[in-house]
Amino acid sequence: MLIPHPLLGLRDAQEFTYLGDASLMHRPDPAREDAVAAFADYVFLRDNPAGVHRELWFHEAGDRSWLVVTRDTTTHEILGAELASDVKLGGVQ
Amino acid sequence: MTDLTPITALGGTVARSEDFGVLRLTEQPDLSLASLSLRKGQGVPSPFGLTLPGVGQSSQAGEYGAFWIGRDQWMIEAQGTQDIAAMLKAEVPEASVTEQTDGFATFEISSAGGAGPLEAVMRKLVNLDPQAFEPGAATRTTLEHISVFLVRRAEDRLAVIGMRTYAGALWHALSTAARRIGAQTDGELAK
Amino acid sequence: MTRLSKGGLIDRDARLRFSFNGTEYSGYQGDTLASALLANGVQLMGRSFKYHRPRGVFAAGSEEPNAMVTLRDGARAEPNTRATMTELYDGLSARSQNHIGSLERDLLAVNDLLSPFLAAGFYYKTFMWPKAFWEKLYEPAIRRAAGLGALSMQADPDEYDKGFLHCDLLVIGGGAAGLSAALTAGRAGAQVILADEDFALGGRLLAERDRLDGAEARDWVAITRAELDSLPNVRVMPRTTVFGVYDHGIYGAVERVADHLPTPGDKVRQTLWRITAKRAVLAAGATERHIPFADNDRPGIMLAGAMRAYANRWAVTPLKHANDPIAIFTNGDDGHRTAMDLIAHGARVLGVIDSRADAPCFGQYEVFPGATVTGTKGRQSLYAIEITRNGQSEWHSVGALGVSGGWNPNVHLASHHRGRPVWDDALLAFVPGPNGPQGLIPAGAAAGKGGVADALADGMQAAITALLEIDIAAKPIPLPQAENAPAAQEAFWHVPGKRRAWVDFQNDVTVKDIVLAHKENMRPVEHLKRWTTLGMATDQGKTSNISALAVMAELTGKTIPQTGTTIFRPPYTGVSLSVLGGGDTGPHFRPKRLTPTHHWAEAQGAEFVEVGPWMRAQYFPQPGETHWRESVDREVLAVRSGVGLCDVTTLGKIDVQGADAGEFLNRVYANMMGTLKVGMVRYGLMLREDGHCYDDGTCARLAEDHYVVTTTTANAGLVYRQMEFFRQCVWPDLDVQLISTTDAWAQIAVAGPQSRTLLQRIVDDADISNEAFPFMACRELTICGGLRARLFRISFSGELAYEVAVPARYGHALMQRLMEKGADLGVTPYGTEALGVLRIEKGHAAGAELNGQTTAQMLGLGRMVSVKKDSVGAIMSRREGLAGDKRRLVGLKPVNAQKPVAAGAHLFAKDASRDMANDQGWVTSACYSPHLDSHIALGFLEDGDTRMGEVITAANPLEGQEVTVEVVSAHFVDPEGGRLRD
Repeated sequence: MLIPHPLLGLRDAQEFTYLGDASLMHRPDPAREDAVAAFADYVFLRDNPAGVHRELWFHEAGDRSWLVVTRDTTTHEILGAELASDVKLGGVQ
Repeated sequence: MTDLTPITALGGTVARSEDFGVLRLTEQPDLSLASLSLRKGQGVPSPFGLTLPGVGQSSQAGEYGAFWIGRDQWMIEAQGTQDIAAMLKAEVPEASVTEQTDGFATFEISSAGGAGPLEAVMRKLVNLDPQAFEPGAATRTTLEHISVFLVRRAEDRLAVIGMRTYAGALWHALSTAARRIGAQTDGELAK
Repeated sequence: MTRLSKGGLIDRDARLRFSFNGTEYSGYQGDTLASALLANGVQLMGRSFKYHRPRGVFAAGSEEPNAMVTLRDGARAEPNTRATMTELYDGLSARSQNHIGSLERDLLAVNDLLSPFLAAGFYYKTFMWPKAFWEKLYEPAIRRAAGLGALSMQADPDEYDKGFLHCDLLVIGGGAAGLSAALTAGRAGAQVILADEDFALGGRLLAERDRLDGAEARDWVAITRAELDSLPNVRVMPRTTVFGVYDHGIYGAVERVADHLPTPGDKVRQTLWRITAKRAVLAAGATERHIPFADNDRPGIMLAGAMRAYANRWAVTPLKHANDPIAIFTNGDDGHRTAMDLIAHGARVLGVIDSRADAPCFGQYEVFPGATVTGTKGRQSLYAIEITRNGQSEWHSVGALGVSGGWNPNVHLASHHRGRPVWDDALLAFVPGPNGPQGLIPAGAAAGKGGVADALADGMQAAITALLEIDIAAKPIPLPQAENAPAAQEAFWHVPGKRRAWVDFQNDVTVKDIVLAHKENMRPVEHLKRWTTLGMATDQGKTSNISALAVMAELTGKTIPQTGTTIFRPPYTGVSLSVLGGGDTGPHFRPKRLTPTHHWAEAQGAEFVEVGPWMRAQYFPQPGETHWRESVDREVLAVRSGVGLCDVTTLGKIDVQGADAGEFLNRVYANMMGTLKVGMVRYGLMLREDGHCYDDGTCARLAEDHYVVTTTTANAGLVYRQMEFFRQCVWPDLDVQLISTTDAWAQIAVAGPQSRTLLQRIVDDADISNEAFPFMACRELTICGGLRARLFRISFSGELAYEVAVPARYGHALMQRLMEKGADLGVTPYGTEALGVLRIEKGHAAGAELNGQTTAQMLGLGRMVSVKKDSVGAIMSRREGLAGDKRRLVGLKPVNAQKPVAAGAHLFAKDASRDMANDQGWVTSACYSPHLDSHIALGFLEDGDTRMGEVITAANPLEGQEVTVEVVSAHFVDPEGGRLRD
């Protein structure tokens, strides 16, 4: 597979390690009332869609950036890739 | 000066160099490295008069060089052994600087036969298009499962900068590829 | 000899000697082993898999099902090599396979008589019972009988290589369509790779007598090849099979670099290429299919198109006796081409048996219209066929029979990625479907456009279309004048009859087997395949699958497209494991990491152990020591009584800087790091977000905004990745920068009561007295006359200890210097074994305790999980199941001190029965403690912290071991920690 790195262009997927569902970026607020339940959900429950999936890839043998890659799990078509830090900061560096 | 005697990454007291036909593989122990990372909100500085290069590029200013290694992060190079981290920190006191000289082993592959044999070696080692990796390009990638920086110093020179503790394994990979390409005839190398 | 007196693409001046089953023959440069054997009148080349039927060559390319040989001798012997793909070289040696006794008198031919019992599903039906027979009787017997060739059982002496190629356009196949595609793209300046599995470019152009621009097609091939070779942007790769299509335009290919040479010399044998192509043209041609009829598997019967190829390209007729007549059996015009070509070469043609009542005739030969072949004679060489027309049968003498049932486009690669081929009623064949791999455009015969003129034009058009998609404008090129041969045919799939009619030759699947599968309700194609083993041999059914589908369709009353094909998967043809392995074997199988003192340790005679990628000194045997325990005990005692040295460079080191470095570490470590004073070190415990322990190490604060943290050796990369995850994905608002510095520093542990004395001898001017440099202090300083270094007062052994770090290039010299300076102190290098004993004696957790299932509470570190702040895993660690875990890390001391305890043993109350209900924990680490002169262990025990002094049992039921142990503190040595602080 080739990952369209937003800075480096198409790169061999073997340079990356895969983590999974991009919802892992949304760590619950530990101060909230139902924090334990929210964390249980965060840690253990993931969607596993047959189709478009936003997921985290780490460019470990590259520029060490975490990417949010949008991939169709049924075809492996990659619809886009963004720097995770940009996504998290709402596109503002 | 300390009276301890350093050894090269390959364990010798002098740099190793070996020829394979038109190709030469050389260990370069005298390159000092320090990483430079920008703090939040910091502007891009110009240490040692360097223009810090953009994504996937390297730059040069006199004895100093720099190559891009990540967002807001560069590796600064200096010829010769010196306390580069301290010198760099003095240049850019507000940035995060980390000594990296001994974190890496640098090998240079050079070709007396022009770009062709060098690119042929690259094709055996890394999944990058050598023709798109022009002089000045720099990137990190995987080579025989080892993470390395590549810097194309010139048409016919490529620096391979890998983790120092992998130096022996890296030399094996580079020399095996160079031997096979070096043994090829001009006709076989034409493409 | 059946070599024609002239013609062919062979160099008659270059005579090559070779042997087959020990008999010497000769052929010419340009021959394949198959063509050379045929030229020598050798028809019998192998035995079939199940019935051991005598078989001859059936095809002329990579689809060959029958002519499988073992090529070369000794360690280079390679079984299941297709004679049709083996380029002849001088001195070639080959043997036939799958027979006991000679090829001519195979003792296993008795299987053929047993064929009524060996029908479809035989294995499934027969070897089911009695159950106990499977392991002892059936499986060994089947394994002995199964398979065609056998491995040499010797290591492969040759080198294999791998590499990466990139291009705009990959052209797969160098026939008419492929050459025109490559030329079109090459002239447009695109980066082009042209790969063909054959050693010569041209594809079917070499096998036919088509005229291009009024001249022989091979002339145009030669001119085109020369132009392609001259273009710097085109890489021509003969002997290269593109075997698979992978995601995003990645193609797998094997280049047979030296398979055509007696030995590879300084070349590699084969290269595995991973080709990244922006676009690809699939010009893989088509494969002819046959028409099953009674006894259709005799040597001398082959595909009509193959017969034509042998005559035209190799100047050979497939006869045992040169002047025997040849017959053709066909359902279409294509069979007639073979008859015409044979006549042109001067062969005797009995005639063309054409299933069509209105069969045409294109020349001076007899046509048997509306006729079929219904029987054959000749066990090892065909000598007669039965032709039946309108119910009337008569026998004719022939020396060979060509069979043509139409052509199947090679849709294989276009059907990877679950692309499904679609049926073309006019072509009577599957063609590539619309949902094939992205960026791959089929062209020419592979797309069902097999006429030469069509193929040339289609290849060109495919290249133009493909390049346009990537913004390269390619112009049409002038194509040579050519004509499409007549190609009318009728749907005629097999000749019904009572005798066996083979569909899949290699796996001995007959029409009867398909009928039986249908009867037994194994009707879907995937079931049919498994039940009959159709298409499951090394040839993957290239000549048989579609015919079998047609027979099944006929039986079910469905159409062929309704019946469908099985899924196509890589590889297109067999790929050797050697080349997939990529070449490096033995010590270079995977890259190794060497510590900065590796060469020094080697010189000391150290034994090494692999720890992940690292090679670490395990222990340092001294003269007179005959058992590893002697060395390890000595090393441990030396540390406890004097001073020892150990290279601990392998621990991960991460440089953490930034205004928010302390806050960041507060969040990733369970305990507080932001409050650490500059110049001090703190033990750090890292949890996973699920609340379990992840890793541990130390954090040293070098400046307000600068920490260096260490990780365990095994988790160095993982912890760095995790920290980057939190930095970038969770808290990108923090000002923190990370970079690994593991390799930059050689770090040596200096441990033992004499460690400070030793270090004072190398430290330049810093005061490292207990007062100035207390336990858990750290400092950047210089040693040995100005060498910059970092000193940490930390201890894994429980003794007064330090770790000193210097630039890696000085690690070797520093080790030597410490050995010299500490000679009078009894300085002793120690390895990972002693390191392990020392930490078990001290009760320090390591990988065996931090195995991903343990909690801070279990380790006795529950209070380290700060409640004053949030950190990764903190919330989840407070779950009842984790917080309430009563197991605690304890020490275990066998009542009989000399009785070893096994790590992994489970813990039970003394008299409890050994079952799950009574399981109270397990032993994590065990060793012999020379300090205590006793075996000791660490383990997790329920309520362990309140059971000191209790005698329990460590049981290892797997090996019938039980040891009575006393529960003690995990700190076997200096439980108060006084030694650390002195």
